[in-house]
Amino acid sequence: MESMKEIWRRIRSLGRRDAMERRLDEEIRFHIDQQTEKNIRAGMSPQDARRRAAIAFGGTESARERVRAEVRPALLEDFARDLRYGARVLRRAPGFATIAIVTLALGIGAATAVFSVVDGVLLQPLPYPDSDRIVRLYQVGSTGSRGNVSEPNFEDWKSGTRSFKAMAEVAAFVRVPVSTGGEQTMTPGATVSREFFEVMEARPVVGRGFLESERRVGAAPVAIVSHGFWQDRLGGGRLGDLAVQIDGALHQVVGVMPAEFDYPLGTDFWVPREQSPPQRSRTAHNFQVVARLADGVDLRTARTELGALSRALKAAYGDETWMFDAAAVPLREQLTASARPTLLLLLGAAALLLVIACLNVSNLQLARASTRQRELAVRLAIGAGRWRVIRQLLAEALVLSMAAGTAGVLAAALGVQVLLALQPGNVPRIEGVGVDLRALAFALVAAGANAAVLALVTALRSTNRDLREALSDGQRTVAGARGERARQAFVVGQVALTTVLLAGGSLLARSFIRLLAVDPGFRTEGVLILDLTWPYGGDTATRARRANLQQQLIERLGALPGVEDAGLIDEFPIGPGYFSDGQFIEMTRADEIQSFEDVKRLGEEAKSRAGYASYRIASAGYFSSLGIPLLRGRLFEESDGPGAPHVAVISESLARAKWPDRDPIGRFVQFGNMDGDLRGFRIVGVVGDVREESTEAPPEPIFYGHYRQRYVSRFSLVARTLSPGVVATAARQAVRELDAQAPLEIRTVDEALDSTLAGRRFSLTLIGVFSGAALVLAALGIYGLISYLVAERTREFGIRLALGAEATDVLRLVVGRGTILAAIGMVIGIIAALALTRLLEGMLFGISPTDPIAFGGVLLLTLITVIVASYVPARRAMRIAPATALRGE
Amino acid sequence: MEKDGILQGTLDMLVLRALQLEPMHGWGITERIQQWSENVLQVGQGTLYPALYRLERQGFVRSAWNVTENNRRARYYSLTREGRKRLTGDLAQWQRVSRAINLVLGATVD
Repeated sequence: MESMKEIWRRIRSLGRRDAMERRLDEEIRFHIDQQTEKNIRAGMSPQDARRRAAIAFGGTESARERVRAEVRPALLEDFARDLRYGARVLRRAPGFATIAIVTLALGIGAATAVFSVVDGVLLQPLPYPDSDRIVRLYQVGSTGSRGNVSEPNFEDWKSGTRSFKAMAEVAAFVRVPVSTGGEQTMTPGATVSREFFEVMEARPVVGRGFLESERRVGAAPVAIVSHGFWQDRLGGGRLGDLAVQIDGALHQVVGVMPAEFDYPLGTDFWVPREQSPPQRSRTAHNFQVVARLADGVDLRTARTELGALSRALKAAYGDETWMFDAAAVPLREQLTASARPTLLLLLGAAALLLVIACLNVSNLQLARASTRQRELAVRLAIGAGRWRVIRQLLAEALVLSMAAGTAGVLAAALGVQVLLALQPGNVPRIEGVGVDLRALAFALVAAGANAAVLALVTALRSTNRDLREALSDGQRTVAGARGERARQAFVVGQVALTTVLLAGGSLLARSFIRLLAVDPGFRTEGVLILDLTWPYGGDTATRARRANLQQQLIERLGALPGVEDAGLIDEFPIGPGYFSDGQFIEMTRADEIQSFEDVKRLGEEAKSRAGYASYRIASAGYFSSLGIPLLRGRLFEESDGPGAPHVAVISESLARAKWPDRDPIGRFVQFGNMDGDLRGFRIVGVVGDVREESTEAPPEPIFYGHYRQRYVSRFSLVARTLSPGVVATAARQAVRELDAQAPLEIRTVDEALDSTLAGRRFSLTLIGVFSGAALVLAALGIYGLISYLVAERTREFGIRLALGAEATDVLRLVVGRGTILAAIGMVIGIIAALALTRLLEGMLFGISPTDPIAFGGVLLLTLITVIVASYVPARRAMRIAPATALRGE
Repeated sequence: MEKDGILQGTLDMLVLRALQLEPMHGWGITERIQQWSENVLQVGQGTLYPALYRLERQGFVRSAWNVTENNRRARYYSLTREGRKRLTGDLAQWQRVSRAINLVLGATVD
């Protein structure tokens, strides 16, 4: 109540402001007149009387100021006037205002943009009801590693636990050929078991879920599709008799999920798991498992129950299962785990940049305060209250922060767009990211508070001083030693933080360069990759026909003008894909193993006979096209046809690992676990190592079978050419002549390599930009401080020069000052960086977090920047003409 | 300008006291305080007017234009009921404190 009245009174007092001033003027006039009359009555001359009266009154302006201060209720109006005045003051110092605003806007923009992405990707809940109750469950192996789950283990979990309301298994196909009539395209999909939609608590928005009658082997194929797929590929029409061709089989579309439903990430269709036969093996780890916690059960309880059950299963089944324990991770955490380190790194860097920006503006403000000392002193002398001056400075700070804030909002909006454009394409959930208002508010408040605290400190200090001292001494006493020390501290802080940022950037850059220099083990220039996928499976005749078609494709491709060599591999080494690997058994003769029982028995009987390798299917042309050297023996030959004994080629590292001091050539190997084909291989050659998946990992041992003998439905054709761009069109045409339908994607090896580097390039670019900006700000800070010092000591330098000091002595003095400050900052920065870069360890490649070259480079760069930044003002000091300096002021 | 460093609370009390008998303009208040204090207390105008405006804002005095005996327009201040109450309270408080201080100063030291 009281406060409402007060506010109303204040609002009314706005209009009464002029009346108040008029009344006061009249009262003062009356007062002085009265005093004058009294003085005349006392015998003074009229002139003298008036003069005395005025003196007795004291400064009329002073009285006015104090009365105004008493009529404080008009705060709102005062505030507006203060802001107007603040804006005017800033307009009069455009250089300062511009630099301060740009600097703060940069800090605010960067911090807000990065936080917005972090929030959208890492922090926002998933778009499912009570999404924090959804967990992902893992089998834990003997080494503690988490992995997919086998179906029997999943069934035991489901029936043996009470912590979960629902539990489902999901098998995500990375991509399968899907056609809605016309050309097939590779589309990501998933098979999901009975309770999947209960776990996610999501229902189709159009159509229905799967019926129980559709959940059995032999039922008519059905699919639920994503909203995007329905819109883009099916035209968003009535479901009716919409059908899609998935991996060669026609599926009826029965439902459409809501637009925000996206699990597994990027999935376009879901099919019922129960339409394919159950899997009996406890070591066939084919499923991701998701579950929803039962009401009232916390994650820890669920983990305990699941872990105990899993260990009991291990005890019961022994070697039949490789599950030693189980793990449960909240789904959101699991989905964002891959993006987390990069985003947190960027967030840290952006926060540092914001602090550096604030330090820089603080520095500028202190510098300005010292030159404004006189103005403030004058205002105080003519009777402005101390509070008045303080408020004025605060208003200025506010105007500055508001301007910077506005620019910061724009910078943040732009920053988010830039981040979205630069992001490597593998950041989950990034599509919906927008400028986060809370982050923006935080950054604004941080920058505003920084400016305000500074203004307050400046004001208190200035208004505390003896007026006469400030007035008589001009700029000299100003801000005093304390101000200078504060500025030095700011510069030291800036340099330290910049060093930290640069150290991070430099380590990432060194890793990147190292990574670029890694030899993947194959030729990268001028190699074209054509990815093709045919329907999985098929009978023996179909498979034989398709293998022949593959041979024709290779021949057709190899015959194209400009193509030097062509071949086939089931999965091209670089880039995403299924790089299947597994256990093989060395045999004494080609037909030693007749059944899977033999495989299992021999593997357990004699561990020395078992080995582990990646399993690839290739043609001889694959090795020659990519320049993978044949080290011993031979490659596949024309005679290694479908009817001939199966042969294999192995990589050097496999030869070294399995047969360190024996010749692998001529040995028999059983790899029946991989494709169910129990015919043994005879090793005929050893080829050079290549790196699979990315160049970051060391080469894995690889085992190559021949495509003529082991059919694969999913494969890549490779062609070595001088001009991949030109050949691509002809190659597409050649493939289409033989196969008009199959999904076909064409890329070059360079592109494939490039995409594996995208994530690194993203963080490196941003850290580079951030640390570059930090360096510029630090340079500005040092430049400003040294300029100020030079201006302060003009007289001293003049005297020194007059007394015969060399100009270079002065130069050394000034530059030395900057360098010492910077050196302190660098030492602090390096110590901090050494502690912090350990967090980067997982992102580095081929160097340690304390890499001396990276740190040395940072020191050198900072040092050069510092010297240049202090050299410029130092030259001014050198050129001081002694006479002018001494006469000065 | 505060010659004898009149504390703000004290100044308010003096102003209220000066207005106790009749409404007065600012100059009159200065004169009256000076008279009554036998020229010891001189209220600086730099503090008088702020005090008047403050007291008016706080509701202890009100003001209105009036005409002086010399036919000049002046702003006359008068006590409100609140102001009289405050003056009574202030005086009682002042007497208690000054008596206490006098007792301390006048105490015999042995």
